[in-house]
Amino acid sequence: MAEPMHILLVEPEPLLRRTVSMTARSLGMSQVHEAASTAVALRMARQRRFQGAVIAVECVGSGDQRRYDLSLVDELRAAAAPGGAMPIAILADQATPGLLAELRERRISRVILKPFRAKVLLETIAGFTGADVT
Amino acid sequence: MQVAPIPDNEAERLAALHALLILDTPPEQRFDKITRFASTEFDVPIVLISLIDAGRQWFKSRVGLESCETGRDVSMCSHAILQPDIMVVHDTLLDARFADNPLVTGEPGIRFYAGAPLAMPSGMRLGTLCLIDRRPRTLDALELGILGTLRDLVVMELTEPAADGSTHG
Repeated sequence: MAEPMHILLVEPEPLLRRTVSMTARSLGMSQVHEAASTAVALRMARQRRFQGAVIAVECVGSGDQRRYDLSLVDELRAAAAPGGAMPIAILADQATPGLLAELRERRISRVILKPFRAKVLLETIAGFTGADVT
Repeated sequence: MQVAPIPDNEAERLAALHALLILDTPPEQRFDKITRFASTEFDVPIVLISLIDAGRQWFKSRVGLESCETGRDVSMCSHAILQPDIMVVHDTLLDARFADNPLVTGEPGIRFYAGAPLAMPSGMRLGTLCLIDRRPRTLDALELGILGTLRDLVVMELTEPAADGSTHG
Protein backbone atom coordinates (compact mmCIF):
# COMPACT_ATOMS: atom_id res chain seq x y z
CA MET A 1 0.00 0.00 0.00
CA ALA A 2 1.40 3.38 -0.99
CA GLU A 3 2.39 5.88 1.69
CA PRO A 4 -0.36 8.54 1.91
CA MET A 5 0.56 12.02 0.73
CA HIS A 6 1.04 14.54 3.48
CA ILE A 7 -0.95 17.74 3.01
CA LEU A 8 -0.73 20.85 5.17
CA LEU A 9 -4.06 22.56 5.94
CA VAL A 10 -3.94 25.99 7.53
CA GLU A 11 -7.40 27.15 8.55
CA PRO A 12 -8.49 28.93 11.75
CA GLU A 13 -12.02 27.48 11.87
CA PRO A 14 -11.70 24.23 13.87
CA LEU A 15 -14.81 22.45 12.61
CA LEU A 16 -13.96 23.03 8.94
CA ARG A 17 -10.35 22.00 9.53
CA ARG A 18 -11.29 18.87 11.44
CA THR A 19 -13.98 17.85 8.93
CA VAL A 20 -11.53 18.09 6.04
CA SER A 21 -8.75 16.17 7.78
CA MET A 22 -10.99 13.40 9.12
CA THR A 23 -12.79 12.95 5.81
CA ALA A 24 -9.55 12.87 3.83
CA ARG A 25 -8.28 10.17 6.16
CA SER A 26 -11.50 8.12 6.14
CA LEU A 27 -11.60 8.15 2.33
CA GLY A 28 -7.93 7.23 2.11
CA MET A 29 -7.12 10.38 0.17
CA SER A 30 -4.22 11.74 2.17
CA GLN A 31 -2.86 12.53 5.61
CA VAL A 32 -3.93 16.10 6.33
CA HIS A 33 -1.90 17.92 8.97
CA GLU A 34 -3.88 20.68 10.66
CA ALA A 35 -2.63 24.10 11.68
CA ALA A 36 -4.84 26.81 13.12
CA SER A 37 -2.50 29.67 12.23
CA THR A 38 0.40 30.66 10.03
CA ALA A 39 2.72 30.62 13.04
CA VAL A 40 1.86 27.01 13.88
CA ALA A 41 2.14 26.02 10.21
CA LEU A 42 5.58 27.60 9.91
CA ARG A 43 6.80 25.43 12.80
CA MET A 44 5.28 22.32 11.20
CA ALA A 45 6.83 23.16 7.81
CA ARG A 46 10.27 23.31 9.41
CA GLN A 47 9.80 19.83 10.89
CA ARG A 48 8.55 17.87 7.90
CA ARG A 49 8.10 18.06 4.16
CA PHE A 50 4.61 18.24 2.66
CA GLN A 51 3.43 17.26 -0.80
CA GLY A 52 0.74 19.95 -0.96
CA ALA A 53 -0.79 22.75 1.08
CA VAL A 54 -4.14 24.49 1.48
CA ILE A 55 -3.59 27.77 3.27
CA ALA A 56 -6.03 30.36 4.59
CA VAL A 57 -4.00 33.53 4.33
CA GLU A 58 -4.22 36.05 7.15
CA CYS A 59 -4.35 39.81 6.78
CA VAL A 60 -1.64 41.65 8.69
CA GLY A 61 -0.91 45.32 9.19
CA SER A 62 -3.42 48.16 9.16
CA GLY A 63 -4.51 50.98 6.93
CA ASP A 64 -2.42 51.34 3.78
CA GLN A 65 -0.02 48.71 5.12
CA ARG A 66 -2.73 46.04 5.32
CA ARG A 67 -1.75 43.01 3.25
CA TYR A 68 -2.01 39.23 3.13
CA ASP A 69 0.75 37.38 4.95
CA LEU A 70 2.35 35.08 2.37
CA SER A 71 5.39 34.20 4.50
CA LEU A 72 4.31 30.58 4.80
CA VAL A 73 4.02 30.23 1.02
CA ASP A 74 7.50 31.70 0.64
CA GLU A 75 8.88 29.33 3.26
CA LEU A 76 7.31 26.30 1.61
CA ARG A 77 8.61 27.34 -1.79
CA ALA A 78 12.09 27.93 -0.42
CA ALA A 79 12.16 24.54 1.30
CA ALA A 80 11.01 22.62 -1.78
CA ALA A 81 13.42 20.30 -3.52
CA PRO A 82 15.00 21.78 -6.66
CA GLY A 83 12.47 21.52 -9.49
CA GLY A 84 9.80 20.36 -7.08
CA ALA A 85 6.73 22.52 -7.37
CA MET A 86 4.49 21.65 -4.45
CA PRO A 87 0.84 22.43 -5.28
CA ILE A 88 -0.51 25.17 -3.02
CA ALA A 89 -4.09 26.46 -2.83
CA ILE A 90 -4.98 29.68 -1.07
CA LEU A 91 -8.16 30.51 0.86
CA ALA A 92 -8.94 34.21 0.91
CA ASP A 93 -11.80 36.55 1.74
CA GLN A 94 -11.52 38.24 -1.62
CA ALA A 95 -9.28 38.15 -4.66
CA THR A 96 -7.83 41.62 -5.12
CA PRO A 97 -5.67 42.32 -8.19
CA GLY A 98 -2.72 42.86 -5.89
CA LEU A 99 -3.18 39.53 -4.15
CA LEU A 100 -3.63 37.69 -7.43
CA ALA A 101 -0.42 39.21 -8.78
CA GLU A 102 1.47 38.10 -5.68
CA LEU A 103 -0.01 34.61 -5.94
CA ARG A 104 0.92 34.30 -9.61
CA GLU A 105 4.51 35.11 -8.72
CA ARG A 106 4.42 32.29 -6.20
CA ARG A 107 2.92 29.74 -8.64
CA ILE A 108 -0.26 29.16 -6.63
CA SER A 109 -2.42 26.35 -8.04
CA ARG A 110 -5.80 27.61 -6.96
CA VAL A 111 -7.54 30.43 -5.08
CA ILE A 112 -10.66 29.55 -3.10
CA LEU A 113 -12.91 32.37 -1.96
CA LYS A 114 -15.33 32.51 0.97
CA PRO A 115 -17.60 30.83 1.92
CA PHE A 116 -15.25 27.89 2.32
CA ARG A 117 -16.86 24.47 2.04
CA ALA A 118 -15.25 21.24 3.14
CA LYS A 119 -16.16 19.61 -0.16
CA VAL A 120 -14.28 22.23 -2.18
CA LEU A 121 -11.21 21.88 0.02
CA LEU A 122 -11.33 18.09 -0.29
CA GLU A 123 -11.72 18.29 -4.07
CA THR A 124 -8.68 20.55 -4.13
CA ILE A 125 -6.67 18.06 -2.07
CA ALA A 126 -7.89 15.22 -4.31
CA GLY A 127 -6.58 17.22 -7.26
CA PHE A 128 -3.17 17.42 -5.56
CA THR A 129 -3.02 13.71 -4.86
CA GLY A 130 -4.81 12.34 -7.89
CA ALA A 131 -7.30 10.56 -5.60
CA ASP A 132 -10.55 9.40 -7.20
CA VAL A 133 -13.39 10.66 -5.03
CA THR A 134 -16.27 10.07 -7.41
CA MET B 1 -46.40 4.19 5.27
CA GLN B 2 -44.23 1.58 6.90
CA VAL B 3 -43.46 1.99 10.59
CA ALA B 4 -39.86 1.02 11.31
CA PRO B 5 -39.46 -2.31 13.09
CA ILE B 6 -38.15 -2.21 16.64
CA PRO B 7 -34.44 -3.18 16.78
CA ASP B 8 -33.64 -6.54 18.35
CA ASN B 9 -31.51 -4.83 20.99
CA GLU B 10 -34.15 -2.22 21.85
CA ALA B 11 -34.00 -2.62 25.65
CA GLU B 12 -30.22 -2.26 25.70
CA ARG B 13 -30.38 0.55 23.15
CA LEU B 14 -32.87 2.55 25.23
CA ALA B 15 -30.83 1.92 28.36
CA ALA B 16 -27.75 3.32 26.62
CA LEU B 17 -29.70 6.34 25.40
CA HIS B 18 -31.19 7.09 28.81
CA ALA B 19 -27.78 6.65 30.48
CA LEU B 20 -26.51 9.66 28.52
CA LEU B 21 -28.95 11.87 30.50
CA ILE B 22 -29.34 14.02 27.41
CA LEU B 23 -33.04 13.71 26.56
CA ASP B 24 -34.99 16.96 27.07
CA THR B 25 -31.87 18.94 27.94
CA PRO B 26 -31.40 22.48 26.57
CA PRO B 27 -29.62 23.22 23.29
CA GLU B 28 -25.81 23.11 23.41
CA GLN B 29 -23.43 25.02 21.19
CA ARG B 30 -21.17 21.99 20.71
CA PHE B 31 -24.01 20.21 18.89
CA ASP B 32 -25.61 23.27 17.29
CA LYS B 33 -22.37 24.28 15.58
CA ILE B 34 -22.28 20.89 13.84
CA THR B 35 -25.86 21.12 12.57
CA ARG B 36 -25.33 24.71 11.39
CA PHE B 37 -22.13 23.67 9.64
CA ALA B 38 -23.92 20.75 7.94
CA SER B 39 -26.78 22.97 6.79
CA THR B 40 -24.33 25.32 5.08
CA GLU B 41 -22.00 22.60 3.78
CA PHE B 42 -24.79 20.60 2.15
CA ASP B 43 -27.09 23.54 1.40
CA VAL B 44 -30.06 21.83 3.04
CA PRO B 45 -32.83 23.65 4.93
CA ILE B 46 -33.16 21.11 7.75
CA VAL B 47 -30.49 19.30 9.79
CA LEU B 48 -31.26 17.33 12.93
CA ILE B 49 -29.50 15.42 15.65
CA SER B 50 -32.31 12.99 16.34
CA LEU B 51 -32.37 10.57 19.25
CA ILE B 52 -34.82 7.67 19.06
CA ASP B 53 -36.62 7.26 22.37
CA ALA B 54 -39.24 4.60 23.20
CA GLY B 55 -42.17 6.36 21.52
CA ARG B 56 -40.70 9.49 19.98
CA GLN B 57 -37.72 10.99 18.21
CA TRP B 58 -36.32 13.96 20.11
CA PHE B 59 -33.98 16.49 18.57
CA LYS B 60 -30.91 17.47 20.56
CA SER B 61 -30.08 20.01 17.89
CA ARG B 62 -32.13 21.26 14.98
CA VAL B 63 -31.80 23.69 12.11
CA GLY B 64 -34.89 24.63 10.12
CA LEU B 65 -37.50 22.86 12.22
CA GLU B 66 -39.61 24.33 15.01
CA SER B 67 -40.73 21.11 16.64
CA CYS B 68 -38.38 19.50 19.16
CA GLU B 69 -39.82 16.02 18.68
CA THR B 70 -42.17 13.85 16.60
CA GLY B 71 -43.78 10.48 17.11
CA ARG B 72 -41.54 7.49 16.48
CA ASP B 73 -44.15 5.97 14.16
CA VAL B 74 -43.52 8.67 11.51
CA SER B 75 -39.77 8.90 12.11
CA MET B 76 -37.48 8.25 9.14
CA CYS B 77 -34.55 8.15 11.54
CA SER B 78 -36.12 5.05 13.14
CA HIS B 79 -35.50 3.33 9.82
CA ALA B 80 -31.97 4.73 9.57
CA ILE B 81 -30.86 3.25 12.91
CA LEU B 82 -31.66 -0.24 11.64
CA GLN B 83 -28.57 -0.25 9.42
CA PRO B 84 -24.93 0.58 10.13
CA ASP B 85 -24.41 2.71 7.04
CA ILE B 86 -25.85 6.07 6.06
CA MET B 87 -29.43 5.72 4.81
CA VAL B 88 -30.17 7.89 1.79
CA VAL B 89 -33.66 8.39 0.37
CA HIS B 90 -33.22 10.37 -2.81
CA ASP B 91 -36.95 10.98 -3.32
CA THR B 92 -39.40 10.03 -0.61
CA LEU B 93 -42.30 10.00 -3.07
CA LEU B 94 -40.64 7.08 -4.87
CA ASP B 95 -40.08 5.07 -1.68
CA ALA B 96 -43.02 2.95 -0.46
CA ARG B 97 -41.84 3.27 3.13
CA PHE B 98 -42.26 7.03 3.12
CA ALA B 99 -44.43 8.21 0.21
CA ASP B 100 -47.54 8.66 2.39
CA ASN B 101 -45.69 9.61 5.58
CA PRO B 102 -47.33 12.76 7.01
CA LEU B 103 -43.89 14.41 7.26
CA VAL B 104 -43.67 13.90 3.49
CA THR B 105 -47.24 14.73 2.45
CA GLY B 106 -47.50 17.59 4.97
CA GLU B 107 -45.07 19.84 6.82
CA PRO B 108 -42.09 19.95 6.57
CA GLY B 109 -42.55 18.31 3.16
CA ILE B 110 -39.56 15.96 3.22
CA ARG B 111 -38.44 14.86 -0.27
CA PHE B 112 -34.80 14.03 0.44
CA TYR B 113 -33.38 12.36 3.53
CA ALA B 114 -29.89 11.24 4.51
CA GLY B 115 -29.43 9.84 8.02
CA ALA B 116 -26.07 8.83 9.48
CA PRO B 117 -26.59 6.48 12.46
CA LEU B 118 -25.08 7.64 15.74
CA ALA B 119 -23.35 4.39 16.67
CA MET B 120 -21.84 4.49 20.12
CA PRO B 121 -18.64 2.58 20.99
CA SER B 122 -20.92 -0.16 22.38
CA GLY B 123 -22.42 -0.55 18.91
CA MET B 124 -25.81 0.82 19.99
CA ARG B 125 -27.32 3.13 17.36
CA LEU B 126 -29.11 5.79 19.39
CA GLY B 127 -30.23 8.18 16.66
CA THR B 128 -28.95 9.98 13.60
CA LEU B 129 -27.40 13.10 12.24
CA CYS B 130 -29.72 13.71 9.34
CA LEU B 131 -30.01 16.03 6.37
CA ILE B 132 -33.44 16.88 4.98
CA ASP B 133 -34.40 18.76 1.84
CA ARG B 134 -37.72 19.68 0.29
CA ARG B 135 -36.54 18.60 -3.15
CA PRO B 136 -35.10 15.33 -4.44
CA ARG B 137 -31.33 15.19 -4.58
CA THR B 138 -28.32 12.93 -4.32
CA LEU B 139 -25.06 12.77 -2.36
CA ASP B 140 -21.78 11.80 -4.00
CA ALA B 141 -19.00 9.80 -2.34
CA LEU B 142 -17.26 12.89 -1.02
CA GLU B 143 -20.47 14.25 0.50
CA LEU B 144 -21.21 10.89 2.12
CA GLY B 145 -17.70 10.99 3.57
CA ILE B 146 -18.27 14.47 4.98
CA LEU B 147 -21.61 13.46 6.49
CA GLY B 148 -19.91 10.44 8.06
CA THR B 149 -17.25 12.67 9.56
CA LEU B 150 -19.82 15.08 11.02
CA ARG B 151 -21.66 12.07 12.46
CA ASP B 152 -18.41 10.90 14.07
CA LEU B 153 -17.96 14.35 15.62
CA VAL B 154 -21.49 14.18 17.07
CA VAL B 155 -20.73 10.76 18.55
CA MET B 156 -17.52 12.13 20.06
CA GLU B 157 -19.53 14.91 21.71
CA LEU B 158 -22.12 12.42 22.98
CA THR B 159 -19.45 10.26 24.56
CA GLU B 160 -17.59 13.15 26.16
CA PRO B 161 -19.06 15.65 28.61
CA ALA B 162 -19.01 19.34 27.62
CA ALA B 163 -15.48 20.56 28.32
CA ASP B 164 -16.54 24.03 29.43
CA GLY B 165 -19.74 23.01 31.16
CA SER B 166 -21.69 25.28 28.81
CA THR B 167 -25.15 24.38 27.67
CA HIS B 168 -26.87 27.10 25.72
CA GLY B 169 -25.64 27.80 22.22
